[in-house]
Amino acid sequence: MKSLKASVSAILLSGLLMGGAFAGEVKSIAILTPEEGTDYGWNQQGVAAAKAAAEAAGIEVIVAQGLGYGDVRPTLRELAEEGASLLIAHASGYNTSAPEIANELKVPVAIVDTPDALKKGLVADYTLSGHEGAYLAGRLAAKMSRSKTVGIVVSGEPPSWNSQSAAFAQGVKAENPEVKVTYAVIGPAAYSDAAGGKRVTESVIAAGADIIFGQGNGSSFGMLQAVETTKAADGGKVHFIDVIGDKTAIDKGFLLTSVIWDITPVYAAMIADLKADTFGTKRYAIGLKDDSVKLLKTGEIPDDVWSQVQALREDVLSGKIKVEPVFEASAVRALMTNVTE
Amino acid sequence: MTGLFSEVFLGALLFGAITAAIPLLLAGLGEQMSEKAGVLNIGIEGMMIGGAYLGFVAAFYSGSLWLGFLFGACAGIAVAALMALLCVRLGLNQIVIGIGLTLGLEGLTALLHHFQFSRSYPRLPAAERTEIPLLADIPVLGPALFRHHLIVYLAIALVFVMIYVYRRTQLGLNLQAAGDKPAALDVAGVDVIRTRTVAVLFTGAMAGLGGAYLANVGAGIFIPFITNGAGFLGIVLAMLARGRPVWVLLGALLFGLCLSLTTAMQVAGINIPTDVIQMLPFLAVMVMLVAFGRRGSLPAALGIPYERGAR
Repeated sequence: MKSLKASVSAILLSGLLMGGAFAGEVKSIAILTPEEGTDYGWNQQGVAAAKAAAEAAGIEVIVAQGLGYGDVRPTLRELAEEGASLLIAHASGYNTSAPEIANELKVPVAIVDTPDALKKGLVADYTLSGHEGAYLAGRLAAKMSRSKTVGIVVSGEPPSWNSQSAAFAQGVKAENPEVKVTYAVIGPAAYSDAAGGKRVTESVIAAGADIIFGQGNGSSFGMLQAVETTKAADGGKVHFIDVIGDKTAIDKGFLLTSVIWDITPVYAAMIADLKADTFGTKRYAIGLKDDSVKLLKTGEIPDDVWSQVQALREDVLSGKIKVEPVFEASAVRALMTNVTE
Repeated sequence: MTGLFSEVFLGALLFGAITAAIPLLLAGLGEQMSEKAGVLNIGIEGMMIGGAYLGFVAAFYSGSLWLGFLFGACAGIAVAALMALLCVRLGLNQIVIGIGLTLGLEGLTALLHHFQFSRSYPRLPAAERTEIPLLADIPVLGPALFRHHLIVYLAIALVFVMIYVYRRTQLGLNLQAAGDKPAALDVAGVDVIRTRTVAVLFTGAMAGLGGAYLANVGAGIFIPFITNGAGFLGIVLAMLARGRPVWVLLGALLFGLCLSLTTAMQVAGINIPTDVIQMLPFLAVMVMLVAFGRRGSLPAALGIPYERGAR
């Protein structure tokens, strides 16, 4: 009798503890970012989207930002213990530790750049791609390059950036096959290497590029610095095309455009999936269709060129132009080799 | 002319190589002195990022890069003073304290940056360059090697100062003894703790200066975690150079050159995995220093706190 009571109690207790992972009980979400959510890029867009999605769902959001690229297991455990119903691990460097914590504490986590890691109720992946926007940015760059050479500088080769690098190159070649595209990676995971970003960008400019498509988190500020302090081969201005965020507020007149992401629909869908008990069973995407990917209009883009780009956007939306994502780094490099030949 | 083998492109690659090498050189020279004196200074990354932050703040508000370098070195000394207190005076574990200081400084500077610069991300103007007459006019090499900020030439000159100090001065002898046979140094009437403290503070100054150079000249901006492991690379250079400053210089230059070579290979469109290309700097430095730096040795008491009378 005593052991029966103990068993029933254990079942009830474990049911209560597991409750956080079950449907319809989303009380709060937490997002963990490697850098501050004020970087006008990946981290800021992530934090802003988490806040917006939580507000729309009427739940709380906990923001743990500036955690670096090291081990975040203690933070994940702490946030899980605080009762977060979903942990959004907003860095590819967290996609090993977060699923471990999900399995250990039975708290759902969302990770990036690991599409094969889906686990129903526990692990969702949101490897996103702004490739449609990057394609348009490539078309724009090819229209505006004076030297007929554009450069791509990245601080790593995660799938999201690979697809944008590839789409940018495809856009350039579609607009003008004569335009050269050069490609350089700062380092294996040089997301905060601003000095490396500046050094590599200066080299790419010296190779003839007058427009830089930069993907770099913190290192993109080094790219921006290089663009601001280095003249193109013709002595004129070098333009910068950013991704994910909007750096207009800190621009000194060198920002040509940005492929802006809005991740809010993705996080909102995750919350809905948690409530519907379908979390970890599907993939998420952003695109031109719902404006979760869009190009930034700046004063550096002439109106007629902008109109042409908008017409191309309509062609992408109608399916007249098809832009397929390319996630593999080797495929991206092969594409660059082809376009530079 | 532009393109892959143009004077402008090759010049930019060489210039970038020097720029990338200088922070490693300064950090490596600093670490080398600590190691000579028997202190394994793992906290050098923290000293660098402290120097990068304060150096940038000083340069940004004063408009003077030199003031930035001075404050950067001071920040490094301040962090090193903690290291000296905890590891040299109190004899705590050098690795644990070093890692703790690095993590602490990374967090502190990220927090300070958040409150101060995270909405504005201010950038410094391009650093002024000092031309070395005649040499600066040599095609390709001239602009790349002989048109740098004055601190670059001073950093290279420091290598020869260090050689002199280690070989010709009493301080050099004391440092060597503090690392090899601290008890013998003590018996000779020289304060081991003081000798090691001086070495650790010098390391802080060099690391802080390297960090300030990285932020103010290398990047022109401070962002959190900007050092990106440069301090740890300095430790590797110092360990592999085994007490000889000129090998730190050669290692740092080789590393910078290989970084530029990786950029050149990528811009050329060579389709081999980027990770393979980017192994090149690390591989080249290790091969060079292992092959040619074997004659030197690391101090016998490296990493061991000194306690008078302890066996």
